[in-house]
Amino acid sequence: MIPETFQELILRLQTFWGGHGCVVLQPLDMEVGAGTFHPATFLRAIGPENWNAAYVQPSRRPADGRYGENPNRLQHYYQFQVVMKPSPSNFQDLYLASLRELGLDTLQHDVRFVEDNWESPTLGAWGLGWEVWLNGMEVSQFTYFQQAGGLECFPVTGEITYGLERIAMYLQDVDSVYDLVWAKTPAGPVTYGDVFHQNEVEMSTYNFQEADTEALFKTFDFCEHEATRLVECKLPLPAYEHVMKASHAFNLLDARHAIGVTERQRYILRVRSLAKAAAQSYFESRAALGFPQADPDLRERALGDQS
Amino acid sequence: MTQTSADLLFELGTEELPAGPLSTMAAALGSSILEGLAHHGLTYASSKIFATPRRLAVLVKGMSLEAPDKTVEALGPPVTAARDKQGDWTPAALGFAKKQGVDVTDLTVINTSKGDRLGLCRTERGARAATVLPEVLANAVARIPVTKRMRWGRERHEFLRPVQWVVALLDKQVIDVVVMGINSGRHTLGHRFHHPEAISLESPATYEETLLAANVLADFGQRRERIRSQVIAIAEGLKANAVIDDALLDEVTGLVEWPVALQGSFDPAFLEVPAGAVISSMKEHQKYFHLVSDEGQLLPLFITIANIESHHPASVVAGNERVIRPRLSDAAFFFETDKTTPLADRSSRLEGIVFQQKLGSVADKTRRIVALSGWIADALGADSSVTQRAATLAKCDLVTDLVLEFPDLQGIAGAHYARHDCELEAVAAAVEEHYWPRFSGDQLPNSPEASAVALADRLDTLVGIFGIGQAPTGSKDPFALRRGALAVIRLLVNLDTPLTLSDLAERAAREYPNNLLAPDTASAVTEYTLERFRSWYDDKNIAVEVLRAVLATGITGPAEVDRRVAALNAFAGTDASIALAAANKRVANILSKSGETRAGKPMPDLFNEPAENQLYESLEGLKAVVADKISEGDYAAALSELASLQAPVDAFFENVMVNADDPAIRDNRHELLAALRNAFTGIADFALLGGGSQ
Repeated sequence: MIPETFQELILRLQTFWGGHGCVVLQPLDMEVGAGTFHPATFLRAIGPENWNAAYVQPSRRPADGRYGENPNRLQHYYQFQVVMKPSPSNFQDLYLASLRELGLDTLQHDVRFVEDNWESPTLGAWGLGWEVWLNGMEVSQFTYFQQAGGLECFPVTGEITYGLERIAMYLQDVDSVYDLVWAKTPAGPVTYGDVFHQNEVEMSTYNFQEADTEALFKTFDFCEHEATRLVECKLPLPAYEHVMKASHAFNLLDARHAIGVTERQRYILRVRSLAKAAAQSYFESRAALGFPQADPDLRERALGDQS
Repeated sequence: MTQTSADLLFELGTEELPAGPLSTMAAALGSSILEGLAHHGLTYASSKIFATPRRLAVLVKGMSLEAPDKTVEALGPPVTAARDKQGDWTPAALGFAKKQGVDVTDLTVINTSKGDRLGLCRTERGARAATVLPEVLANAVARIPVTKRMRWGRERHEFLRPVQWVVALLDKQVIDVVVMGINSGRHTLGHRFHHPEAISLESPATYEETLLAANVLADFGQRRERIRSQVIAIAEGLKANAVIDDALLDEVTGLVEWPVALQGSFDPAFLEVPAGAVISSMKEHQKYFHLVSDEGQLLPLFITIANIESHHPASVVAGNERVIRPRLSDAAFFFETDKTTPLADRSSRLEGIVFQQKLGSVADKTRRIVALSGWIADALGADSSVTQRAATLAKCDLVTDLVLEFPDLQGIAGAHYARHDCELEAVAAAVEEHYWPRFSGDQLPNSPEASAVALADRLDTLVGIFGIGQAPTGSKDPFALRRGALAVIRLLVNLDTPLTLSDLAERAAREYPNNLLAPDTASAVTEYTLERFRSWYDDKNIAVEVLRAVLATGITGPAEVDRRVAALNAFAGTDASIALAAANKRVANILSKSGETRAGKPMPDLFNEPAENQLYESLEGLKAVVADKISEGDYAAALSELASLQAPVDAFFENVMVNADDPAIRDNRHELLAALRNAFTGIADFALLGGGSQ
């Protein structure tokens, strides 16, 4: 049965992956550009420890705002993120089973795994995998992480990112994201537009016109300074929070066209070196704890490499 | 009777491999296996490779199970050194026997080209397929080229995508081999959705049909042809023409195991958008084949290749139609919003685009090509105001949303916007055509104004990049200077202009700030550009020495070079040409040995042989007419006049002793020969032409 509402779609995915060994987390309470930034993906991909999780992540891409006028583009949208480490050998099959759980008949719809190599320059991360096509439409990203924060990923984290709005629009057969039914209530249906349209209009205005660039440049510098300092204090998690904040400040400055072409590259490199420093620090902090969630053989090897 | 041959099947089952390298990988796997068999002396009747997104496979039929036994000879010391004077075995003979692990009496005498040697003949058992195959197969997998390696799970193995299963069958027998941590077996998988259950393969021979029954068309070539014929059939049904790009066809073939072509359509309103944007949206992003009318007009239709035989194809079509709608809407939106800003108003934004770090922004480049193209237009007698307006606008579309989204539309988009802005048609056309020729063999601009901008753009890049010491080396040519220089030559030849490369390059270099470019830039660019003639004439089967002979005169005007080369090429190979080339070589030698510079002004009074007078008179008689023909650019006629020198030249060398004892007579003869040489070098250096042995 096809989920009739946006919230039902999320509940189905949570139930499905929860039933396959994933810790169902709640969203990170910070502005991030994608579910990958969540420490539950980025930091957990580092080091030898096992980890399986699934969660919704609100994602912000200030430059993608269209003042609520484009039916397909939003500056704030949702990703459903699944990470499994090590990636299980039936990962693709699990994903396809989750689609069937959403009522999608894979003998009716054309589902395809099409090469897509993912790279995040700001996170110093890359992986290989696919974008998943549903009748030609990209509905998910499927990635085997090879590197995160400049560190080699071993074991490999498998990551699935569902584009929730796109899938929901497909399932509900609507052409505008704002027409999606979010919930059916006794008082009538509540749509995505009811919940978020005003937010898109106001936030687009803020992102493109009102964001105080001077303050944002200062924020960026402050977060950079703070992240560096916190790494020195051996506090990788707070340090990483400041990396995310710097990254968001950069995204806002980018939307304001406040950074020139060559400068832009330099800012990306600055975030990347922070992300790398935080990643390295996180690895060391987990090593100090003895990599408690690792398989014994991998733990020993990783600790051996350390000393 | 014992079985002597069998079939071999090896299949590597994977998660979906990227479409691009699929065929190459399968071919490499196949050839490595065959090489491995050959290495062990195992023969086979035939082989076949298979490639789909989920498998690379090789089937070898009629493979010998055992290689023939081999006689192996080991050579020891010469027979003469095998026994000492007493007739006892020498230490050399004993040592050899020991090393071979046999008694010295088991050794025989072997005749070799270097005399008789003590040696050992041994029969070596031929390799047995079942024994060597695990290693052959493992090596073959290791030698598959992998464009980008990845790891998965908690494995250390690396491949293009995770490996899921391995089949290795020798007839009905499983060959045990471990590939990427996976044990081989006889189980394969069919189509991901149509036939998800594992299939136990009976024998290699039934592989293809077994997969076919499981909705997998494993043969890449067959699959490609099935797609082609499906696409053509749909197009015919629509009375339209499908545009089947080979690269797209290959890519689509690499994306499916069970192709099913389906037809979709889009809103005809999108046909207002430049066709390039619509085609690119469908082709690059969605891998659709587009359709055109008999007149070549884009139709609002497309064909997509699904990987399943859907029980409800309409939902696959509806989904695909839904996907391109926002893409086309984006293109239409960009096109419409771009039009709200006049192209000319965008020029300031070009300041923000780096052309080359040392050479400034695209705005800087634009300022230079405006000046340079104006100068070229004047030289060509073209309309310089049209030219300079076109140059001003030429790069402005690089900052339009449409071109940012569809880079292939550069120029095309600019022309649309220029027309919308009511620029002159000649200006709009030149904005598009200044990128022509885009590749070798591409069309040339239609007007001299567009040609002037095209030349200015390329010359500016050539002198700039050369001037900062980044001339192309080997295969590194990031600014496509090779192609740019060839375009310059084609443009100038086509314009049939007296403009020379040295003047153009110098003028182009002058547009850069003082001291930015190396001082010898213009001559380096001239030389590099003239060198492009080589490949041009190679394609026309014109010998390189003809070009060398013409270029040796120091001319740098491509149109002039081309005229002379054409005439000389027609002339070269005739008897007169061969004889005159030989004579020129001889003259060049004589003159260079004498070490004197000669003006070519002999004194007839000093002639004392009739052949001298005869040659002199022939030369004098030709002078005026040859000069006329050359000034008219009619080199063919000039050459046919010069051909008449063959007889007097031959007579001269036959009858005249050039280096006479009397220095005055000798010098005068040198002057005569210099005059002869001068008669030719107005066209080409004949001494560099082939023919003649002297």
